[in-house]
Amino acid sequence: MTALTVPPRPKGRWMPWTAAAVIVAVTVVMCLPGFGVGLDIAAIARNWQQGAVRIVELLAPDWSFFPRTVGPLLETLQMAVIGTAVGAAISLPLSFWAARPTNPVGWTRAVLRGILNVVRAVPELVYAAVLVAIVGVGALPGIIALVLFNVGIVVKLVSETIDSSDVGPLEAGRAAGGTQSKINRSIALPDAWPAFVSQTLYVFELNVRASTVLGLVGAGGIGLLIDAVRTFYRYDQLSLIIVEILVIVVVLDTVSDAIRRRLV
Amino acid sequence: MTLLAPARTAALVVPARRRRPVRAIAWVVVTAIVVAAFWSADIGWSRLGDLPAEIVRYLGLMFSSPNWSKLPEALWQTWRSVEMAWIGTVLGILIATPLSLVAARGFGPAPVRVALRFAFSVVRAVPELVFAIIILSVTGLTPLTGALALAVGGVGTLGKWGYEAVENVAPGPIEAARAAGGLTTQVLRWGVWPQTAPTFLSFWLYRFEINVRASAVLGLIGVGGIGDMLTSYTQYREWSTVGMLLIVVVVVTVAIDAVSGRIRRRIMEGSRVR
Amino acid sequence: MTNASATRGVEAHASAPWGIRLDGVSVRYPNGTVGLRDVSVDIAPGDLVAVVGLSGSGKSTLIRTINGLVPATSGTVEVGGRRVDGASGRRLRETRGQIGMVFQGFNLAGRTSVLNNVLVGRLAHTPLWRTLLGAYRREDRELAFEALDRVGMLPKVWERASALSGGQQQRVAIARALTQQPRIVLADEPVASLDPPTARGVMNDLRRINEDLGITVLVNLHLLDLAREYGTRMIGMRAGEIVYDGPAASATDADFAEIYGRSVTAADRLDR
Repeated sequence: MTALTVPPRPKGRWMPWTAAAVIVAVTVVMCLPGFGVGLDIAAIARNWQQGAVRIVELLAPDWSFFPRTVGPLLETLQMAVIGTAVGAAISLPLSFWAARPTNPVGWTRAVLRGILNVVRAVPELVYAAVLVAIVGVGALPGIIALVLFNVGIVVKLVSETIDSSDVGPLEAGRAAGGTQSKINRSIALPDAWPAFVSQTLYVFELNVRASTVLGLVGAGGIGLLIDAVRTFYRYDQLSLIIVEILVIVVVLDTVSDAIRRRLV
Repeated sequence: MTLLAPARTAALVVPARRRRPVRAIAWVVVTAIVVAAFWSADIGWSRLGDLPAEIVRYLGLMFSSPNWSKLPEALWQTWRSVEMAWIGTVLGILIATPLSLVAARGFGPAPVRVALRFAFSVVRAVPELVFAIIILSVTGLTPLTGALALAVGGVGTLGKWGYEAVENVAPGPIEAARAAGGLTTQVLRWGVWPQTAPTFLSFWLYRFEINVRASAVLGLIGVGGIGDMLTSYTQYREWSTVGMLLIVVVVVTVAIDAVSGRIRRRIMEGSRVR
Repeated sequence: MTNASATRGVEAHASAPWGIRLDGVSVRYPNGTVGLRDVSVDIAPGDLVAVVGLSGSGKSTLIRTINGLVPATSGTVEVGGRRVDGASGRRLRETRGQIGMVFQGFNLAGRTSVLNNVLVGRLAHTPLWRTLLGAYRREDRELAFEALDRVGMLPKVWERASALSGGQQQRVAIARALTQQPRIVLADEPVASLDPPTARGVMNDLRRINEDLGITVLVNLHLLDLAREYGTRMIGMRAGEIVYDGPAASATDADFAEIYGRSVTAADRLDR
């Protein structure tokens, strides 16, 4: 059998393996005690008993607790709805401000986008915690936190949609002599409307999940109750609350899907 | 003689505008819900008037001279948060990936598929904070709890993205691997994985970005990390430190998002030959 | 390389190709369509058989019952004396490992190298851990190189599969089949997506495999000239049944009209 001429192997074959090795190394370092998280399997094994008792309690919800949860649940829903509504009202004009076809002035767009990038980098619960210290405990700081969170996301997504949409109709409006705001109102708005409604409803679903836990920092809703029951280790009551959260999230996701198709 | 038709003398017949009652009803429902929410909310609306001035005052307190002396501690806590996010992501990937392969049509039996997808939806609906509360009965208020909570919470989204990616691949290479006599695992390795690798890597990184934000949130209930530090200093009302902490959170989050975004773009643009 | 490797290599099984035998095979798909109706055919080891027919005639179903990709609803399917129908798990995989398959769409994993694609042919002969890590044995790589050399694709061994042209990809697919050291090669419309000169080249490769290595080859074709030119024996299918079975060279246009159920048109020829 004559020898085969096999072409030389390409360089850089070691790269994915090196990357994988680095990732494994970083993970191991992060598991060490002290510098890392301290993945102490022995400790987990020892405390497992304790945890197991609690987890068993989770499997048997305390249905009699239900009446006390109704008020906080309603507050959770209120926060989610109000937060989404106010956020939507603010995001609509801001979305036009942040997109090139609807706002030709470059530096105002850049400033707005910069501010929104910063605002989006902070999780809504952090806003809620700080706002609670400023305005006090209750639903108001939760709503403001949700509004900040919403505006960041909706403006980004809707302005991206506007940016990538067809500029033809807008040019036609300009050619006909319209001012920027008139063009925005009559041409850009109907075009961007489906995206806006869609993103607002998506953010509403996120808000519902978020507002269930805002209370853990004092910002209203069922979260306050979660904090109370866990301090007393009433995991059966916690279990009921979890079931309620599941139901609410599923129901509201379905409602939001139904509305999305019909509003547009 | 012109080509234009002469003006009609009788009234024009304009077609009627199509009415869509369903749309109107939907609007009414939505408006009713919003109004009901505003009306029933137990909020001191009178306080809203003072709010803007108060906010400006606090912004001044926080950012006019941030307390940089506590920066080393803040960076150490940021490292703890990033650790939580990293381990949570890695663990989540290890658990979710095999599950999502089984949950994909064509690779797992139907009852198991349905059960897994249901489990993924349930996990997605529960906020990570709740997982953290449950887990801390075993591991206490430590970053490990945060990591485990992020891992469990991540299984829901990673699982869903996983099986969707597997179901979207071209079936040809899978058939070829089966025809050559491969085991299902081998078929997944050489028929499915080469096609979906960039997608998987991309959403693994995206999940890490999400987890970095989430780790700051978990810190708020005391598992450690930057969120923990934020809660303490907020409660002590040390606003200049809070301001510094917020700046750190923003810088770290934006930096990680930028780097991760760059890597994800590189991955999607084409991977080298392996 | 030792002397023993001289008898390994792709020619190792040249002396022992398998025959194919279908006996009263019917295939009924879950949605009710009938793919094959009571088909019986006996193919001797070392034959090169062309199967012609329109789409929906059952050619694809026929070829897929041979390696069990489509289960037979009734009847028996035997390759080399082993039963394929009803086989499952390890036995089916081992049998499939001896049957190479070439597809119309090439079915290569585009994002990985030509070599990795060809090594898919060794899946049934390699332990799981080796395949997962891509750490194939040296002999397996040598087999892959040799197979690529036979189809003239060795210079492209490290390139990404999606960077190749259609004809090149099909040749790599043939190399993949060869790497299995197969006793049978099944080709399901291998040239339908290729232009005439490339199609001829690929068909020449298949004929060489049959003549030089003695492997039994079964090819689905939809073009008359190719069927006449390359098959020693031709089977014509229509509506799930065999309607013609005889030497390929002597098939007339009238025979084709019978198989297709309509008269022959220019579209049925390779060179128009």
